[in-house]
Amino acid sequence: MNNTQSTPRVRKETKNTIKVDFDRTPFWERMKAKFLNKYFLTKVIWAIFRYVILIGISYIILFPFFTKIASSFMGPEDFVDATVKLIPKNFTFDTYKYIFLENKYMQAVGNTALLSISAALIQTFVCAMIGYGLAKFKFKGNKLMFVLVIFTMIIPHQTLQLSLFMKFRYFDVLGIMKLLGGGSRLLPQLNITGGATSINLTNTYWPLALLSATGLAFKNGLYIFMMRQFYRGVPNELEESAYIDGSGIFKTFMKIILPLSVPMMITIFLFAFSWQWTDTFYTSLFFTRTSIVLMKNVIAIPESLNMTYAGTTMYNAAIRNTCGLMIIFPLVIIYLFCQRYLIQGIERSGMTAD
Amino acid sequence: MNKEAEVKLVTSNTKKRRKSHSLEKKQARGGYLFTLPFIIGFIVIYLPVIFESFLYSVTTIERINAGESYQLVWAGISNYQKALFSDPNYSQILTAGLRQLLLDVPAILIFSLFIAVLLNQKMVGRAAFRAIFFVPVILSTGLIAQIDLSNTSLMTYMSDTDGIGTNAAKSTSVAEIVSAMDIEYLFGSMKIGGGLAKYVTNIVNQIYNIVNRSGVQMLIFLAGLQSISPAIYESCNVEGASAWETFWKITFPMISPMILVNFIYTIIDAFTSSTNSVMSYINQVYGEAGNDTLSVAMAWIYFAIVIVFVLLAAAFMSAFVFYQRRD
Repeated sequence: MNNTQSTPRVRKETKNTIKVDFDRTPFWERMKAKFLNKYFLTKVIWAIFRYVILIGISYIILFPFFTKIASSFMGPEDFVDATVKLIPKNFTFDTYKYIFLENKYMQAVGNTALLSISAALIQTFVCAMIGYGLAKFKFKGNKLMFVLVIFTMIIPHQTLQLSLFMKFRYFDVLGIMKLLGGGSRLLPQLNITGGATSINLTNTYWPLALLSATGLAFKNGLYIFMMRQFYRGVPNELEESAYIDGSGIFKTFMKIILPLSVPMMITIFLFAFSWQWTDTFYTSLFFTRTSIVLMKNVIAIPESLNMTYAGTTMYNAAIRNTCGLMIIFPLVIIYLFCQRYLIQGIERSGMTAD
Repeated sequence: MNKEAEVKLVTSNTKKRRKSHSLEKKQARGGYLFTLPFIIGFIVIYLPVIFESFLYSVTTIERINAGESYQLVWAGISNYQKALFSDPNYSQILTAGLRQLLLDVPAILIFSLFIAVLLNQKMVGRAAFRAIFFVPVILSTGLIAQIDLSNTSLMTYMSDTDGIGTNAAKSTSVAEIVSAMDIEYLFGSMKIGGGLAKYVTNIVNQIYNIVNRSGVQMLIFLAGLQSISPAIYESCNVEGASAWETFWKITFPMISPMILVNFIYTIIDAFTSSTNSVMSYINQVYGEAGNDTLSVAMAWIYFAIVIVFVLLAAAFMSAFVFYQRRD
């Protein structure tokens, strides 16, 4: 063993710096030790495996959108041409143009936006309220009410579709209209409403507004559950200090709790808004007339594009997909801005099943 | 002096009791105030609707006064009998739908847990992958799912890249990513059942469907994974546990409440989605004139079977669920 290996040699000395040569392990040796061990190799293999799977599944998710976008720009000739696959040969905007002009697209966007935004706002607020009430207050029937919330989530509205329709077709709260209209046995001579014993609420926004305001609309059980889990994680000290400062229950909720739960509420608003936007069940149940143009009425073949030739089935499918693309276009924009909150809100909820 | 102290004690006692009483009352009042919308909705809308729905399933509807009002005619269990015994398709579709449900639920659960674990790890582009994976939750529901149903021909046409110039026989099987025949041939010599191979190939072939339906479950699993304390993993690492052991000994028990939640959610979601074969059949029956109460009876039968299944499975699974004791 020579001594020079352990002692550093001073190679160059200036006023402020010195350069010292250490005897280091050679470069290749170091690299070998760093990269050619079991730990690093398993890490690399795992990373490759992970990226292959993630990219593969991302491809599966996004590919239908690519084909839809590609086919939306194709002219009718492209669907009988076997050489055209993903890249259109007769590039055209006609499909978009005619859907926009002939399917009352703007009208549908306006109506659906009004419907979805109001329904989603009401649902977000009401579910936050109910979730807060269930999470933070002890009262008789708290547990029972939570079970009932889950219960409304479990029973599919399809089971109730006929009775929901009937409820709002012949709407009447606790027999009041029946009483006023003279239909009841109690006061048959009373006839204020001119013989009408119920109100027809179909083809209006009322059924959805009422369902939203009472936390019974589509998947509201899930939202209430999410809000409840979120509020259970909020420390009680926060409200207690507000109460001590003389703030009432409702004021505390509005001024302290609601601003705190904005990320979670954005998540719920996003869910409620987009599920209402693409909804078929409630819109076809409550809007039987076509005078109110909603998104479901946009999906149709425009007059100018209606033709019969060898590729009709495929061409019509492409047109319907273009309608779908135009329907989700506003959602895509909102999603791009809000997806950050979607994941954040869920992560902060710290949902546990107890 | 002594008397005074006693009086003081008494007053403080009553004061204390009164105060705690009012706090309790305040609590209860707040609770009722905040849940009031739900209470009203449940009593005024939901309960009558459920009751009427059940009533419809045992009656038939006759409209009078030119549709202005209606009359219910008692029909007993004839709707149920008709659904189960006279309707040629219902019982077949029902059994097929339930079988499909049983097969899909484990696939969706395993897939969403697996992806949630992957998306929870630190890596380059995690935010982008998360954004892509939650696209179906927002964009592939309702109307879009309905359009997608009639899309198969277009999708095959577009993805069929090797169809040009080859014989037509090939394009018939192009929708399948892997064919069950190959896999069975591969596993034939090993003693693995053909049923399992068929199940796996079936899942791989409908991967798009499964990805689409596991978005919310992924979110719930991800939230659960985030709530596991990193200190536990650290100590595991120090003790020399491998990733495999850590998953089964730590992640899996800690996530087991989420598995139960997701299990129930998946069943309910599968069973309420309008793309479900039983539901679409019920919808079709609902659309036929004069059959509206029959469809309600069908929906109730389906609901009863699924709820019994959910309760049994949940009771069975909750025996294995591990709850971490907080504080």
